[in-house]
Amino acid sequence: VIGSPVVLVAAALLVMPLVVLRRRTLLRYYGIDALTWLFAWLLWRRLPAFDPWLGGTLVAAVKVTTFGVFLARGRDVCWSANRAALIAALVYAAAIPSMTRFPIDGDEPFYLLATESLVHDGDLDLANQYQHLERTASGRKDLRPQLGDPTGPHGEQYSRHEPFLSLLLIPGYVLGGLYGAIGTIALFGVLLVRSTVRWLEDEGIPDSAVRAVFPFFAFGPPVLYYATRIWPEVPAAFFFVEAIRGVRAQRLKRWLPALFGLVMLKLRFLLVAAGLVLAMAVDWWRARRARSQVRPALLIAVAALVVIAIPLVVVWRISGSATNVHSWREILPAPGERYVTGFFGLLTDGLGGIPFQAPFYLFALFALTYWRQLPRGFRTGLLAGSIYILYLLPRPEWYGGWAPPLRYVVFLMPVLALGAAAVWDRLPSGVVALAAAATAGLAVHGLVYPYRLFHIGNGENAVGEWLSGMYRADFSRLFPSVIRVNDAAWVAGVLAAVLVIAIVITALLRRPRLSVFSTAATPLAIAIASLLLVAGFRYGLQAASHVEFEDAHVTHEGGALHPDFYTVARFQHRGGWILQHGEAVSFLAQKGTWTLDAITGLGATIELAGHTYVVAPTKDYQRLRVVIPHTARVTLRCLTGAVNLDRMSRNE
Amino acid sequence: VKPFAWVIAAALSAYACSLAVVSANATPIDRALPFVAVVVTCLAAASAAELMLAVPLLIAAEMIIGDETTRLLALGAIVAAAVTACMQLQWTRRDRRRDSPRFRAVAATTAGAILLLRWLPFQDVLLARELLLLAVAATLVLVLGRTPFAVTLAVVTVLVTPAVPLRTLAFPLLVLFVAVLARMFGMPRLTLAWPSAAVLGFVMLFFAWSGIVARAFPYFLKQAHPEVRRSEGVPALPARASVMLAVPDGATSLIVSGANVARMRRGTPLGRIEPGGLAVTIGDAADWGYLRRDDFYGTHNPLPRDPAGKIRGYGYTAWVDGAGRVALPRGARAIRVTADAALPPGASLQVEGFE
Repeated sequence: VIGSPVVLVAAALLVMPLVVLRRRTLLRYYGIDALTWLFAWLLWRRLPAFDPWLGGTLVAAVKVTTFGVFLARGRDVCWSANRAALIAALVYAAAIPSMTRFPIDGDEPFYLLATESLVHDGDLDLANQYQHLERTASGRKDLRPQLGDPTGPHGEQYSRHEPFLSLLLIPGYVLGGLYGAIGTIALFGVLLVRSTVRWLEDEGIPDSAVRAVFPFFAFGPPVLYYATRIWPEVPAAFFFVEAIRGVRAQRLKRWLPALFGLVMLKLRFLLVAAGLVLAMAVDWWRARRARSQVRPALLIAVAALVVIAIPLVVVWRISGSATNVHSWREILPAPGERYVTGFFGLLTDGLGGIPFQAPFYLFALFALTYWRQLPRGFRTGLLAGSIYILYLLPRPEWYGGWAPPLRYVVFLMPVLALGAAAVWDRLPSGVVALAAAATAGLAVHGLVYPYRLFHIGNGENAVGEWLSGMYRADFSRLFPSVIRVNDAAWVAGVLAAVLVIAIVITALLRRPRLSVFSTAATPLAIAIASLLLVAGFRYGLQAASHVEFEDAHVTHEGGALHPDFYTVARFQHRGGWILQHGEAVSFLAQKGTWTLDAITGLGATIELAGHTYVVAPTKDYQRLRVVIPHTARVTLRCLTGAVNLDRMSRNE
Repeated sequence: VKPFAWVIAAALSAYACSLAVVSANATPIDRALPFVAVVVTCLAAASAAELMLAVPLLIAAEMIIGDETTRLLALGAIVAAAVTACMQLQWTRRDRRRDSPRFRAVAATTAGAILLLRWLPFQDVLLARELLLLAVAATLVLVLGRTPFAVTLAVVTVLVTPAVPLRTLAFPLLVLFVAVLARMFGMPRLTLAWPSAAVLGFVMLFFAWSGIVARAFPYFLKQAHPEVRRSEGVPALPARASVMLAVPDGATSLIVSGANVARMRRGTPLGRIEPGGLAVTIGDAADWGYLRRDDFYGTHNPLPRDPAGKIRGYGYTAWVDGAGRVALPRGARAIRVTADAALPPGASLQVEGFE
């Protein structure tokens, strides 16, 4: 099963160091490489039942991490943006087989379907594609038109997605079907890496810092995920970087087409384009020396606005509405608390937050403390993205929805990487090592279990689910969830707020004082991190005072998830677990009086910890007082009827 | 301030590791995780602070890997990476003027490796002998010039010394004596950085069963067999005794071992299998308990060609029984196993079952 990918990965890993390492550094790397192979072979012989895909990916991750260390610290390194791109190409090529072990998901098959329609029919009408799904290269025969897909007057069935990505996929698809389409995205990933490295160099980042940041950016989440799957995020990031580079170099020929490409990919990037034009205007206004410069600048701004308006026309021609499935009303401000939710979600959430899904980019937050000393490109990039982020925060899918994590902020990752690179020399090595371990772990997880990149958004994350399933205790409560707000979210929110205030204050001061991060503190920092890790673990083993019945720590003896797993925007519904008579759930709970939230249309009798309760049929959720006499694993059984159990919370 | 920071880091790491062990079925290696954390902290102090990363990795492995063998191998992989990286870093960052790393640091690496390999489980440590071995190892490192080769040779020499009976301590002293003589007669300082790292990494990878590495290291080079249910065995067969056995469906090999045959050499017959007249010799199987630390001195048995023994115990007291697999005659529905007539009194052939 894994014959050819193993050869591909092994070849990529062997060739990769040849691209940049030289002389003694190369020999040393190959020394360690040989040792890694030897130990991998020994482990493989001793663990015959171990998942070979997981084992192989772990070995590859160790090698790429080792390579990253040599790249960052090696003396004999032959470095350039093109070489970085070549390395990225090797790694992405090796990663694609991992991602395609399972059917593509989310919006991916629909982009591919549109490409197939363009190639085979020369149109965007997907009606016949839906009728002959056995022909689609995605292998997904269960596809149905998505909610809100536009239809034509003669029964045409269009996709809600902008067609530009599908158009870009055509050459790759014609050459290699599904693999060719993913290869096209990987090619954009390679271009993104090249452009980002160039940009970092243009902004005056030292070579050593660029080399250190490169593996985190190119081979860590979320860029790795999106460079090996069919989403518009990586091409968008490429166009965004090219646009900023063009603006910084004042090269119209670079930024104007890049901006056009960005907006053509997704209408939502109109906000980014507007932000960039605004940032450009501010820059020109500040830098104006003569009145004669203002007029051409204004003309260019108008040209930019016209160019980014073209996508609106294209979308209007296809769907009959310039905003496609969106509405102009979405531009109006949302209620304040939704901004808070999105903001703290991106900062702290266990499922969609940067610390848990791409911890490397936290260094960019640290960089903000040096705001005045940061490269101008970083500030321009952040300002350009700020309008978009402002509109993203109040939306319910701020964390990415049914997609790999951080989908909606992937385009901003090059900017954050630039921020991290700008303060690289100030980062303690222990913290960098922790971030490297976490990044490698996340990459391995995503590559071995790509289907876990898609989550129903029920407030749990992969680590919480895994530990909960293993120990049958609620570990998910340790991870802050802003989607389904838990206690950890409040704690993390307060910490994040303090951090943000500290960053703002430090940024306002001209001389940041962060001596606490001195390198002498590395062992202490790692030891404290270890202690926090294990303290959380011990806490997670304790009985909970709040139970969500759909969670992984609950043992389900029959029953069904509610709403269904693939319900559109499932995170907006009240989740739960439906029990019919005779079915049961068991879970670890503290003793005391609890409130059970449940709904039943038929009426039901349930038994919990030896007590019997009757749930009357109602149209709405009802709250029942129930008692658990002892802290222990308890069973809730449906004796008659059927009941949808939502959650249970301890009263005191 | 720095030494205090390291002491506090070691204490916090040890405490964190002690909290990470929650399973009622924790092995002595799991329970010794705080000790491992302290050793890792010492290694980090002696080379690079980043090596402390091994501590959270140890904790993570302990928490998330349920299967015992996988978990202990994961701990071994982390420890092996830390020890070899420590040794290599000390060598690459050595004082260019003196062309060698500080003795204190290299001695710490050597001692750390030896402690992990020989001091687990604690209750079996023979303190005076172990301290003597540590001293010999440190001297050996000093004599051989503090190179990676010196560290590895010292660790391996000490590892393969059972220290039971006492006279086995002559072996490391002999190695030290030869090393001193060789250096006195002008032997150049050997570095052999990569081969040394490979050897040291290998022994550290299996530190959870270091006793087996010490007494039967090829065992870990052989392909492990997945757990297969074995059929019941039969009573031990003394000389000339025989037994007729029905071959279970799907069985491909017979598992045999010897009792009181530890002094026999490779090729000595233990018995015969009919049909086919297959000879079972020392080499196909070995004395059941010959790899126990206390019994190892004086044994002449080699590791069986296809070892079928189960790993018993942990750390330096780990051993594997001397059972071996013998292929069954093709298509046989029943076999007769006969113990060799030349087996001495008290010795016997044990049929442990079919696989």
